[in-house]
Amino acid sequence: MNNIDSDSVRAIDASPTNPFAVPETAGRKAAALKTRLARILSAPAARAVEADRGPTHFSFGVNRIDAALRGNAMADGLPRAALHEIHAAEKTDGTSAAAMALLLAERCRDDKPILWINESAENRRHGHLFPPGIAELGIDPDSIIYVNAPDSIAVLRAAADGVRSPAIGAVIVDLAGKKPKGLDLTATRRLSLSARQSGVTSLLLRSGSDMEDPLPTAAFSRWQVNAAPSAPLEANAPGHSTFDITLLRHRSGLYGLNARLEWNHDDHAFRERQAGETAPDLGAVPALAADRADHQGARAA
Amino acid sequence: MALFLPWLPTERIIRARGQPEAPFALTEKQRGAVVITAPDRQAVALGLGAGMKLADARARVPDLMAFDHDMLADAQLLDRLAEACERYTPMVAVAPPHALILDITGAAHFYDSEKALARDAEDQLDTVGYSAHWALADTPDAALALAQHGLKEGAEEQLPVSALDMDAKTHQALERAGLYKIGDLSDRPRPNLAARFGMELTLKLDRLLGVEDRPIDPVRSLGNVTTDRRFPEPLTHIDAALSVLEELFVEASVQLEQRGQGARMIRMMLFRCDGDIAKLGVETGAPTRDPALFKRLLRERIDALNDELNPGFGYDLIRLSIVAAETLAVKQLKLEGGEDLEADEVALVSQLSTRMGRGQVQKFQPADSHIPEQGLLALPALDAPPPAPWEIPPSGNPPMRPLHMFDPPQRVQVIAEVPDGPPHRFTWRRKAHQVIRYEGPERIGSEWWQRKHGQQSGKGGLTRDYYRVEDVKGRRYWLFRHGLYGEEKANPDWFLHGLFA
Repeated sequence: MNNIDSDSVRAIDASPTNPFAVPETAGRKAAALKTRLARILSAPAARAVEADRGPTHFSFGVNRIDAALRGNAMADGLPRAALHEIHAAEKTDGTSAAAMALLLAERCRDDKPILWINESAENRRHGHLFPPGIAELGIDPDSIIYVNAPDSIAVLRAAADGVRSPAIGAVIVDLAGKKPKGLDLTATRRLSLSARQSGVTSLLLRSGSDMEDPLPTAAFSRWQVNAAPSAPLEANAPGHSTFDITLLRHRSGLYGLNARLEWNHDDHAFRERQAGETAPDLGAVPALAADRADHQGARAA
Repeated sequence: MALFLPWLPTERIIRARGQPEAPFALTEKQRGAVVITAPDRQAVALGLGAGMKLADARARVPDLMAFDHDMLADAQLLDRLAEACERYTPMVAVAPPHALILDITGAAHFYDSEKALARDAEDQLDTVGYSAHWALADTPDAALALAQHGLKEGAEEQLPVSALDMDAKTHQALERAGLYKIGDLSDRPRPNLAARFGMELTLKLDRLLGVEDRPIDPVRSLGNVTTDRRFPEPLTHIDAALSVLEELFVEASVQLEQRGQGARMIRMMLFRCDGDIAKLGVETGAPTRDPALFKRLLRERIDALNDELNPGFGYDLIRLSIVAAETLAVKQLKLEGGEDLEADEVALVSQLSTRMGRGQVQKFQPADSHIPEQGLLALPALDAPPPAPWEIPPSGNPPMRPLHMFDPPQRVQVIAEVPDGPPHRFTWRRKAHQVIRYEGPERIGSEWWQRKHGQQSGKGGLTRDYYRVEDVKGRRYWLFRHGLYGEEKANPDWFLHGLFA
């Protein structure tokens, strides 16, 4: 805009004697203006299409984290049209990581199905997904399309197809093992580009990865998930699903954000557990006699 | 038309390993003795026959070779030949052990006559090394009997009574009565025959004489819509064949559109001119007439093939049939535009199922069982039934069922304070876990109705006592004690059944 203005001012200055004379460069300028006008006119249309997709970000529902994740984006939380990585801190945290991926997918799927792709060989080692357990987390198991792929290459291929499909709410790419074949910078870049185009959130779930030296990927963010001690219920019963999450990598340079989150399946949101709440003195065994008496009492009550 | 292949088992061996230098026979062990089931031509010429003991036969022909008779391979070969004969007519039935029946009514227009078609079939079989007798008749039974006895059309009267395929006793009784040929029976009054030999005989006689027809049971049922294309010059390029398939699908979908249907299952057969057939199947998650989707699924199918399509000397007939079709209403597109999400989902599911196999893309359904691992069904997403409601967990409770389950459960070593008490410490995968919180037991009873008298413990499974436990590191496990201590089992085992988030 500034350019045009200054140009026209100069054009008028150049011919002070005849203000009505048409400068010789007018034809060229008109063409330039026309193209610029066309570009301006087409821009709102494009923006409208983007707005049509609904919110661009999804959140944990925990203000502290969502605000911290804002970065230089305009909205809180993580962008939907991107690839996010979720790593299990240790092999035994695989279930917690899987649950975290599932819960994040639930928070961004907009009533569309979740495509869960895993390697069929890994089922025996890590156990298979148990739908009643999914229902217990407050997620409708019917919203999951479960794909058993023969190997990691097939997993990535199916994921690429899933991410491109506008009918899918979120894709969970479940790859176990230290170095799954085919999972590299190119493959993840392809996934994240497709995600950016289609707006389908893709979550790369990695259990058994080497946390000291994770494989390089093109993901927008990388999270590490541990199982955390739950807040005990009555009679010292294990409580709600609890996770320790740590942000290991983020496009806007955030690092080291961590939190202890508890999933509340009633309002479909996470809740942050404060340090004070993490009461259990690890390693200590409660006095059994008292515990048992307590338990009996609680049950009778 | 019937094609009878008298030497099928031995010719299969010759085709597989070349003509042996000595006469040979296929043998089978019957009641401890090795018995010849199928001698080859040379062996028959030397006077050997089926049913002879191998030891006796060796006494006569010392250099007789023997192979095991693989009946299954014969049956498979016959099925393959039946498929190859589908180039003449889609109605091909197998008549075990060694014959094929083709319904060529109205199918001979590519040949001068039905006889020419039959001769072509004989030639084709001959080039791949199988000798066949053929016969044409009005009914399948007549054609089969004629082919088996090496006779031609109209010679039914000359067939021996054994062609009736009754039991040996009846054949003997007929011969005792002086009735040797079908001709002897044909003009006798049926009621008398029926009174003497039973209704079955008259029925079979009528079928043999072409008085009564019998429908044949084709190897493959005819699809709803079938389109095919023959080529005077065989197609040798895969791409050309694929584009022909796409054209055929468009033709078929025009027919489907007139019926208001869409294809669910599409079968394609590519007939190679040397008799080999490539079969492809494509299934969709919802009825479709969309050529673009078909094209995509077809490419997926080809990519997923274990051994690539080999056109060899080329395909001379390509056939596409819609095996299953369902009603497909014309869809009203939204006036304001927007994508058809349902169609997109179906397309994705169809594509993935085509690539990985239909059983590998699943949707979950609850099943009616209180045994945890039997409480779910993983059904192919392609034809999943409408969603059934899952049990909604009561609000405020933590998850009572694990997210990951081990099936079968994994054995753990447990230390408990008292034998019927909660676990105190357990060892899983050689690692010790200290339990700091637990809830339980949640007792899940056995399926006692599967026990013999509803009494004996042990049958139908043992009672399980489930505990939700949390260890020091905050991991939550689902353990159970298998069997009631003291009542069902002296020393019950412990298992880890699942992992909570």
